Amino acid sequence: MVTNKIIEAIRQPWQLQLIRFTPYFVGALILVILPPLMPTYAQNTWTKFVIFALFASSYDLIYGHAGLLSLGHAAYFGAGGYTVAAMMLNYNINSFWIGLPLGIIVAAIVSAGFGFLALRVSGMYFLLVTFAFGELLYAVTWNWLFLSSPGMQGIAGLPRPDLGIPGFSWTTLNFYYFILIIFLLCFFLVYRIMNSPFGHALRGIREGEGRMQALGYNTWLYKYIAFVLTGAFAGVAGVLFVYYNRFISPVHVGVTTSFMPMIMVIIGGSGTLLGPVIGALVIVFAEYFSSLFTPERWPLILGAIFVAAIMYARGGISIHLSQLWKRLNYRYGSTKS
Amino acid sequence: MEALRVENLSKDFGGVHALSNVSFNVEIGERLGIIGPNGAGKTTLFNLINGQLPPTSGRVYFFGQDITHLATHSRAHLGQSRSFQLISLFLNLSVLDNTLIALHGTKRSRFQILRPTNAYADLVAKAQAILTSIALWEQKDELVKNLSYGEQRRLEIALTLASEPKLLLLDEPSCGLTSAEAVEISSMLNKFGRNITVLLVAHDMDLVFGVADRVMVLHYGKIIADGKPENIRIDPKVKEIYMGVEGNASNTATI
Repeated sequence: MVTNKIIEAIRQPWQLQLIRFTPYFVGALILVILPPLMPTYAQNTWTKFVIFALFASSYDLIYGHAGLLSLGHAAYFGAGGYTVAAMMLNYNINSFWIGLPLGIIVAAIVSAGFGFLALRVSGMYFLLVTFAFGELLYAVTWNWLFLSSPGMQGIAGLPRPDLGIPGFSWTTLNFYYFILIIFLLCFFLVYRIMNSPFGHALRGIREGEGRMQALGYNTWLYKYIAFVLTGAFAGVAGVLFVYYNRFISPVHVGVTTSFMPMIMVIIGGSGTLLGPVIGALVIVFAEYFSSLFTPERWPLILGAIFVAAIMYARGGISIHLSQLWKRLNYRYGSTKS
Repeated sequence: MEALRVENLSKDFGGVHALSNVSFNVEIGERLGIIGPNGAGKTTLFNLINGQLPPTSGRVYFFGQDITHLATHSRAHLGQSRSFQLISLFLNLSVLDNTLIALHGTKRSRFQILRPTNAYADLVAKAQAILTSIALWEQKDELVKNLSYGEQRRLEIALTLASEPKLLLLDEPSCGLTSAEAVEISSMLNKFGRNITVLLVAHDMDLVFGVADRVMVLHYGKIIADGKPENIRIDPKVKEIYMGVEGNASNTATI
């Protein structure tokens, strides 16, 4: 077949493919091998890192690819989280197989509603509208008794999810692997979306929306679908976060939490697959180490990391790492030419 | 049969009449050059035909269909395609990705969300044909921002052809090019088949008179001349606009 030959022609040689995918293999290996060798408290931090890596990846879909700077991303995270938490609180339903799909659906519905209105404006106004919606949901979670344990704001004392496997009990480590599997599945999905015509179209919209329309793309619809998708992924992260944290409060819906994925993506590198993961790694572990020494100074340290990343690693850490990787390859790896 | 019919088209920006009561027809396969001084309304006319702006009044028909209020992307699906005066490629994407985006634009596959974009063998083959024809296949993995300006211009025009349009709107395709590069563009345009109707806006008179079968002159939003290139060349009104009042100007060059 002639056409298959063309596909072969644009495919990179296997050596280059190997080099390209090495960081992913190494990353996955680290995530699988390292945590069991660590104390329980550190394993918890790894779990938190993986959840936030997913949260940040979902944010990158809308910010890094479609180029929409949103400041209400915690709304979908919180919507997913509050869904499973409220089910446990009010109906005592703890099944993972009900909780996760329902959390995703609620998060997607919330983002579908917010996105429908927010995407009528662009740029700074889009940021402000998403921010306002986030705060709206924050107020709802603050005031609605359905979403609060008696006598407090938020839902506390939540158990780990019920997988419906007889005789199974949670440990810190198997919970970590459980989260990791879901993360890797989502990461793979995001990877596929990035490389699909849809993902390319999002980047095209980021680069030049007018041109995309002239080429036949309904850019509004693309942004809207991306917005709902990113909300659904954030919902997954929110559901996992509730299972991990066993407590959810309005803070997890508000602007403080919305900032987290934004900072992670900017530090790690937007529009790249590994950038949000690296950003989450830096932030979650910096928080972990600062909590060991000076927990009260964490915001100060976070601010310093952010400023340093913007001044010295513009474009994101992952961009600089990949440039370093290419340079090393060029210097030590190119023996064949 | 006519490919495009514009009826009494007007566009006001606040109190400024960018276009007033413009009407004309374009036959299928015709190459219509549109010239006029800066601010004559040429790009506004393109924006109305391609749907970037809604008209204040008037109608636009495309192959007999009223498209006055149709969205830009729907017009692309009907067979319109345009290039932009300022290069509007996707600078941070590779040459091949730019081409594939353009090729997917009018296909159903543009909504595919999980299949890799370069797994579409037929589209990749087309991309190869397009890029080979403009001598950019070797640079297919290069980011577009690293191409030279002339190469970007060639890609810009090639991408407008990717959707196999019936009507091509070219806004200043030779803008900012050297005269040698402009000749390249001109020969590219002359190679198009006669099933493509072309509207060409340009300041470069060599390009317009080298490509167009018919030339229309816009001035302050009105058509002041419309006819064969050789007639436009000697039209006194056009000469007056471009060279000042006859006999008064020291510049005696012909356009």
